[in-house]
Amino acid sequence: MKTLSGEVSKQLLEHMFNNNIEPMFFFDARGAMIAMNPAAENILDPLDVQQLYNAQGNDNFCLTCRGYTTEKELTTCLNCYMKNDSANFSSFQIYLKTRHKGVIPFSASFQEIDSNGTRLLMLRDLTRQLATQETLYRNTMMKNTIKAQEDERKRISRELHDSVAQELLSSLVDLRVLKYLNVPDEVLQKLQHTEASLTRLLDQIRNLSVELRPSSLDDLGLEAAFRSHFKWIEKNYGVIVEFIAELHGTRYNSEVETVFYRVCQESVLNALKYAGVDEISVRLFETEHFLEMVVADKGQGFDLNKRDSKGTGLGLYGMKERAELVGGELLITSQLGQGTTIHLKIPTRREE
Amino acid sequence: MKQFCDNFDYQIKIDELREILGCDFISLAIAKSASEGSEITWQYASGNLNDRYKRIVLHSGKGIAGIVFKTGKKMVVDNVEKEMHDKELFNYPILVSERLRSLVAFPLYQYSRVAGVLLVGYREEQRLKPQLYDELNQQCPEAHIGAFEIKGLSV
Repeated sequence: MKTLSGEVSKQLLEHMFNNNIEPMFFFDARGAMIAMNPAAENILDPLDVQQLYNAQGNDNFCLTCRGYTTEKELTTCLNCYMKNDSANFSSFQIYLKTRHKGVIPFSASFQEIDSNGTRLLMLRDLTRQLATQETLYRNTMMKNTIKAQEDERKRISRELHDSVAQELLSSLVDLRVLKYLNVPDEVLQKLQHTEASLTRLLDQIRNLSVELRPSSLDDLGLEAAFRSHFKWIEKNYGVIVEFIAELHGTRYNSEVETVFYRVCQESVLNALKYAGVDEISVRLFETEHFLEMVVADKGQGFDLNKRDSKGTGLGLYGMKERAELVGGELLITSQLGQGTTIHLKIPTRREE
Repeated sequence: MKQFCDNFDYQIKIDELREILGCDFISLAIAKSASEGSEITWQYASGNLNDRYKRIVLHSGKGIAGIVFKTGKKMVVDNVEKEMHDKELFNYPILVSERLRSLVAFPLYQYSRVAGVLLVGYREEQRLKPQLYDELNQQCPEAHIGAFEIKGLSV
């Protein structure tokens, strides 16, 4: 190491003490405050700064410190770094009461700097890093939740479609056979009632299965699934969906198809809930590198910047998340009185 | 099973009813027979805002008509906004497309089975008054509308 002349090192240290943006606190062996740098004084309440300097007691830093984070707790005073010499406090998270932002977390290091037991506490503001981390965490969680939900829906829907409905169908066939045996009229009539109610039940189970996740999406592809979904919309809500399909039965990665289906479902549902229209148009097409979908209505529209959502407010967010899940992009344009357009664009990775 | 009286004009009747009762919307839902899959559709409407009602197909237990059809009891909603959750509202497409705010739906009986539903709706809250029942009783002799008997006409 290059040895610096006393003058230079003193100067550097002074600059560091005065200009460092990282707050520094010096404590003596008893834990009383010796000094703090301007950065430290800036983050604390001026009254607290006064008290810290005046107080002679051992625990005066507790005025500002709100505890530190351990494996077990977010903030604790157990085994305080001031008192516990044996533990390693080279890097830990500490919560301090600040002048402007209330109690916020800092990354801290605590070390002895001379043989007299003078100790230095250095801080770094962690608010931004933590916010980034939290967003990242939330995004991953959201993606995992979406995936888990989709998988579970697929499983239940398959189960309903392949085993429950099949089983029911075969008992229905058995029941029909009975009609051709020599049975009294009374029984026959009862039989017809049972058959009718079983048929209804079978219909309901099939509907349930399709509502969860249409098997046509896996078996026949987007266009077929869209068509039957729009027919269902028309029957249930009386809204006509004008569907222009330009894919000619091309198949894509199942993840991509799922995203398209769900985003379409959500946008059409939004349109019929809030737009107040009789007709919605959906166009599904492929450009050179993208698979694209445009869902448009000529309804009421809404202000994209306003936060007062009519529903849960999660729908649009969820659609964006889904699009990002497969590297796609979702554009929402809307104007009051002009209608709303949802444009989904996902890079194509066609299934070989 | 014959569903209608040939010589009864339901459209004229509900148009009349709407004027006399002073309500915003009246519609008549009639069920197909069980062998056809027991679908229920709104077949006649008066005061409708659009034609969405024509395309709605309900099953027993679904929608206003489906529920009245299944339970055989009248359904009264005095304030749609208060009594129905926003999410739930979407199980009742007719309320949304016709923007109804208060309504009463009566089951219509034929051969002692529910065969249809009569819906009387308003686009304002709390418009259901006891006089409504009196007037309906007066306008529908012996609680009949065409081939159907209206149940639940007493308050």
